[in-house]
Amino acid sequence: MKKTIMTVDDSASVRLMVKFTLAELGFEIIEAVDGRDALRKIEKKPVHMLITDINMPELDGISLVKKVREIPACKFIPIIMLTTESQEEKKREGKKAGATGWIVKPFRPDQLVAVVRKVMG
Amino acid sequence: MSVSAITETTQYLTFKLGDEVFAIEISKVREVLDFTAITKVPRTPDFMRGVINLRGNVVPVVDMRLKFGMTKTENTVNTCIIIVEISLDGDTTVLGALADSVQEVIELEPDKIEPAPRIGTRLRTDFIKGMGKRDDNFIIILEIDKVFSVDELSLVRDAGDVPAPGGEGPSGT
Amino acid sequence: MNEEYDKLIETFREETYELLSELETSLFELEKDPHNGDAVSSIFRAFHSIKGAGGMFGFDEVSRFTHDIETVYDLVRGEKILPDKSLVDLSFAACDLIREMVTSPNEVQAQKKKADELLASLRQLFPEITEAKKTGKSALRGAGDLVLPAARLRAYRIRFRPAPDIFATGTNPALLLRELCGLGQCSVIAHSDSIPDLNGMDPELCYTSWDVILTTEQDMDAIRDIFIFVEDTAELIIEMIDDGESAVDSADYKKLGEILVEKRDITPKDLQKVLGGRKRLGEMLIDEGLVQPESIQAALIEQEQVRQIREGRLKKEVISNIRVSSEKLDKLVNLVGELVTVQARLSRHALYTDDPELGSIAEEVERLTAELRDNTMNIRMLPIGTTFSRFRRLVRDLSTDLGKEVEMVTEGGDTELDKTVIERLGDPLVHLIRNCIDHGIEPPQDRESLGKPRKGMVRLSATHSGANVLIEIEDDGAGLDAGAIRARAAQRGLVATDAELADGEIFSLILAPGFSTAEHITNISGRGVGLDVVKKAADSLRGEISIRSEKGKGTIIILSLPLTLAIIEGLLIRIGEEHFVLPLSAVEECVELIGGDSHGRHIANVRGRIVPYIRLREQFAIGGSAPEIEQIVIVRNETARVGFVVDTVIGENQTVIKTLGRVYKGLEGISGATILGDGTVALILDVSKLIRIVEEGEVSGQAIQ
Repeated sequence: MKKTIMTVDDSASVRLMVKFTLAELGFEIIEAVDGRDALRKIEKKPVHMLITDINMPELDGISLVKKVREIPACKFIPIIMLTTESQEEKKREGKKAGATGWIVKPFRPDQLVAVVRKVMG
Repeated sequence: MSVSAITETTQYLTFKLGDEVFAIEISKVREVLDFTAITKVPRTPDFMRGVINLRGNVVPVVDMRLKFGMTKTENTVNTCIIIVEISLDGDTTVLGALADSVQEVIELEPDKIEPAPRIGTRLRTDFIKGMGKRDDNFIIILEIDKVFSVDELSLVRDAGDVPAPGGEGPSGT
Repeated sequence: MNEEYDKLIETFREETYELLSELETSLFELEKDPHNGDAVSSIFRAFHSIKGAGGMFGFDEVSRFTHDIETVYDLVRGEKILPDKSLVDLSFAACDLIREMVTSPNEVQAQKKKADELLASLRQLFPEITEAKKTGKSALRGAGDLVLPAARLRAYRIRFRPAPDIFATGTNPALLLRELCGLGQCSVIAHSDSIPDLNGMDPELCYTSWDVILTTEQDMDAIRDIFIFVEDTAELIIEMIDDGESAVDSADYKKLGEILVEKRDITPKDLQKVLGGRKRLGEMLIDEGLVQPESIQAALIEQEQVRQIREGRLKKEVISNIRVSSEKLDKLVNLVGELVTVQARLSRHALYTDDPELGSIAEEVERLTAELRDNTMNIRMLPIGTTFSRFRRLVRDLSTDLGKEVEMVTEGGDTELDKTVIERLGDPLVHLIRNCIDHGIEPPQDRESLGKPRKGMVRLSATHSGANVLIEIEDDGAGLDAGAIRARAAQRGLVATDAELADGEIFSLILAPGFSTAEHITNISGRGVGLDVVKKAADSLRGEISIRSEKGKGTIIILSLPLTLAIIEGLLIRIGEEHFVLPLSAVEECVELIGGDSHGRHIANVRGRIVPYIRLREQFAIGGSAPEIEQIVIVRNETARVGFVVDTVIGENQTVIKTLGRVYKGLEGISGATILGDGTVALILDVSKLIRIVEEGEVSGQAIQ
């Protein structure tokens, strides 16, 4: 069975890029446009990994991480945040909330692959 | 080392000290240089004139006149240094012999050579290999290895105390 | 795939158009009110997003162009720049250009030109941009980033103790370890000693820590990068245990105990405690319960892995070093010597020729020659330790033969000396050590009755002292009996019975040919070959020997040898027409001698201190008269400062040492000769011998008077 990775971003282009890049590695990609959308979808069907933006209109990334960790099936899944250089503080907050790591935007597909390999094996 | 040792015709280089003509076997001679600057080595006998630079090597020069009890060799256009290769304690050593002038290379048959007379040459007989005769002139053939033997040159060691023959010793303290 | 790509680009385009129209709205607001902070923020954010997206989707030109505009708005946001109409105008133009870039990416050349023009006018308006430019660096090394391999294998010890709640962040430590193993040869040892028993265990926590010994060509940063997401919560210690290049003379690595102490697995005290036992250290530590078996295992693996990498390096070193015959090396040194001489001629010629070009060439040649000389000399330098090690066997065999107990201690084995010096030093040292053990060290029972430890000590040490190396051979044996030596020497006619001698002078008599005080001839020494061979060897190396001894306590023999035999730094001086060279290493300073000798005494006052001096003109019987102002070259002797009065100090001189040859053997005070730039020969002075000659002369002179 394919492992599922959820990409959460209000930018369709970022979601698409994540989707196209990771599909090639053999993952099934589920998209969500913001935190609330993501949470609703995960509660219905748990995922194996989460890649989420931090600044989103409905339910920001950090709150999303906290909520996801409360879902028993997702307690130990890798969660990667998409940050920008100017968000050093967010990295720490995210880590405290239970995120596994981060990727700094803008990133290239190969950087994304490196991080996913790192946390998914 | 007697004249009987000389059994075949040999070439000699002749040179002059004052009026006298001396000869060294040509096989011992490496080259002849014009007079050049000699650096005196302190605390050595006067006949040891010092050292010269021979193409990067430091070579001692012996003043033959002083060595043979004459006055010091003066620097003239004819003054030259005969570079000889001698055997010191079994090691080959290069030395310079300061002479008033170099004459020529001659060939002497053994029968033209007589033993050195015991007296009358003013030189120690063991320095003389024989007396050659040429055009009614006598040539003193030197036993150069003896002249430049360790014993002869090692006067250096005591130079501080003992004045060298034929010259005043360097003043000590 | 292409379809997907098109879709991706189309999405990016739409998003950019959206961002641009939002941006334009905000720009209108800013135009109306230059102090509208919200407008500034949203403009900044929009440009930032466009820049980021441009970078992600291959619109590098968009990204590059937007970067500077973003910087300007960052400054505006920070109220460092007040927005005005020209900025707003430029911003609108920028929006148009970005739109154009996104819409028709094929016309990138023309767009680039426009972009450069716009940026130029922007920079003209706001010179601050250039200063404010930040260089952002990705926090994470992407797989595509070029990581230059260090090319050398290095060994690291990594201790990784994750925070217990590491699982709660979705991190799998096993993956990190696997990633680590991908860097090179890796040994992983898990420490399970912190795992509590089942009752007390929280399955959601991580109790394990790991020791990893990694051999890799990667650098420490590459290792750290693996732990980037956990490094602030985990305990992570990365240490380089082998840097891959420092010279090793054997593949052996630290002892087990050392590793454990270094890693704080055990305390040095515990180590001491256990080392008294007889079993293997590892077993004993575990038996004593001082350390977990895993720690021992980790340390043993570390030993093994470093040993492997070093073995590999040793093998490689065989290839990277080449053996050169000493003959070739000697030839090279001779050639360098000749070059130095020719260079001196060149420099001299350049000095007297009014040609700046020639002057600078001469200087360059001088610099290169000096460098070549130093490098060549360096090739000839070898550590003396190789010689030392062969004496261990000698000491062992000798002491067994003589029924003595002797321990040999060596110090300074890494002191480097000229190859020739080391080669010629072997035999004299054998002699001296034999002498120590044969005549110096007493039999064990004698030592005990004297209240000394049964075991005698022979210490061999080498230290640098200026341009010399001091080699000391010390024993804690019977010491020298000055009376016996004196009597013996007098008997042999080496010294007058009534001569006044200092202890040092008496001791030096043992170096005289044929001298021996040993009452019975042993198998070892006393074969008619005395310490005079040592003296001869030292002389031939331009070295000196001094002896200190205390009866009953022991003897120290000190050999002082020059570092190199071929070329030294010299100080060129002139007296009359004669030139001499003093070894620069001995020279402390040069001062003027004004007013000549006072009361006929050869003593100068140098800044309030008394310095006795030697008139070289007198010593060397050089004719002519001294100039009005003479120079004193002050050298440091073993004990005091002594001056040498000369006419002129010319300057420093690279001095290629030539021996004076057999003819001048035994000449004291002159250690050799050198050839100067003008082709003449200058003599090299043996400063300490000269001083001694004068001292002895004065002492005996006074005695006569």
